[in-house]
Amino acid sequence: MSGEIQEATERMFFREAIMRAVGEEMARNDRILVLGQDVGAFGGSYREFDGLFAKFGASRVRDMPVAEAAMVGVGVGAAAAGYRPLVSITYMDFMMLGFDPLINYGAKLRYKTGGRLTAPVVVKTTSGAKGQGVAHSQCIEAWLMSVPGLKVVAPATAGDAYGMMKAALREDGPVVFVDHKRLFPIAGEVPVAETIIPFGLAKIRRVGTDLTITTHSFMNRVALEAAELLRADGISAEIIDLRSLAPLDIDTIAHSVRRTGALLTLEEGQVTCGVGVEVIARVQEALGPISAVRVGALPAPVSSNPVLEPACLPDASRVVMAAQNLIRQRRVPAWSKSNR
Amino acid sequence: MIYQISVPAVADVEEIRVLEWHGDLGHRFNQGDLIVELETHKAIVEVRAGQPGVLRKILSEAGKWQGIGLPLALLSDDDDEALPDANQATTDLLVDFEIT
Repeated sequence: MSGEIQEATERMFFREAIMRAVGEEMARNDRILVLGQDVGAFGGSYREFDGLFAKFGASRVRDMPVAEAAMVGVGVGAAAAGYRPLVSITYMDFMMLGFDPLINYGAKLRYKTGGRLTAPVVVKTTSGAKGQGVAHSQCIEAWLMSVPGLKVVAPATAGDAYGMMKAALREDGPVVFVDHKRLFPIAGEVPVAETIIPFGLAKIRRVGTDLTITTHSFMNRVALEAAELLRADGISAEIIDLRSLAPLDIDTIAHSVRRTGALLTLEEGQVTCGVGVEVIARVQEALGPISAVRVGALPAPVSSNPVLEPACLPDASRVVMAAQNLIRQRRVPAWSKSNR
Repeated sequence: MIYQISVPAVADVEEIRVLEWHGDLGHRFNQGDLIVELETHKAIVEVRAGQPGVLRKILSEAGKWQGIGLPLALLSDDDDEALPDANQATTDLLVDFEIT
């Protein structure tokens, strides 16, 4: 947008963006605690909590045993008692152990107590495949989107990780903050000024006219690669980074699909009952029948085998193929004719 | 002869930030001397001279970002050799690097 003022930014690694957000919020609110494996002197599995232990001490940055159910349980309990814990679960796969305290207690606490108690806990966890095998690679964020009372966000850039972590630490209910192993080596621009990015706002990463691609987290990069390949084929793809999965910003997506007439959803997790299913269903509820396709992992466990892992995961060439088929078979609904 | 130091290829790394240069312009590095420390997303890469050389021009100062394979500095055998024009391809200085 031409009228937008360019704000001053600083380049930093993804982990440093998280570190900065948590550090700023801990300085602002002494009820914020960090709980997790290796979060203390070690500085976090991805060094995303570097320096916090030295600055805020062992009472606020606490190493926990390898017991995810207990970690999330302690976090939800401490939140109910007035703290604001950030619980770090290194592998999203093991969040499953914490579902009972998070889903049965944390997400329902406000409702169950008629608003007398809330559970402002942030569960920060890392999803995605990077050679670590069947139980250290999964993306199960779609499982969490259907839990009333739970917010789920999955930023893709250092700037969004910063702004959304700050927003998460100010929420009144439980938030699951999902990052990705392959985002940590990436650096990005982060506003110099303190910035909060509210939940529920998707972001258009690339403007296009023939097809809308929605995605989140690391798959943004695959979508951008695919969009470049599609451009060579004469297809102009618009890419929308969902950023926030619950709440979902359907307005931005529906507005885009109304222009392009086709929707491709891309996620690293499974397509069955996946993020894309929800996006497509809700866009259809807003617009009526649309041409849509889901792209995600094949219905198989993600192997650590260097051939089988990439074979299972969506890549740019699979996105391109799905997009080309979609464009070929696109039906032209009545509402799109007048807009094109 | 003029040489350049480039960002060494480290697995999983796309981009580094220069942490610290260990010598001023005109400093002669001997084989094994630490020339520069680079910061990746999770480690420090120590770049050491694999052959002697004089530091002539720093292309990426401390705090600057640079991609894998891209140049960081120019060195020469002797301290009075004329530097080439910008963008001219230059031989890579032999280096050893250690990731800590």
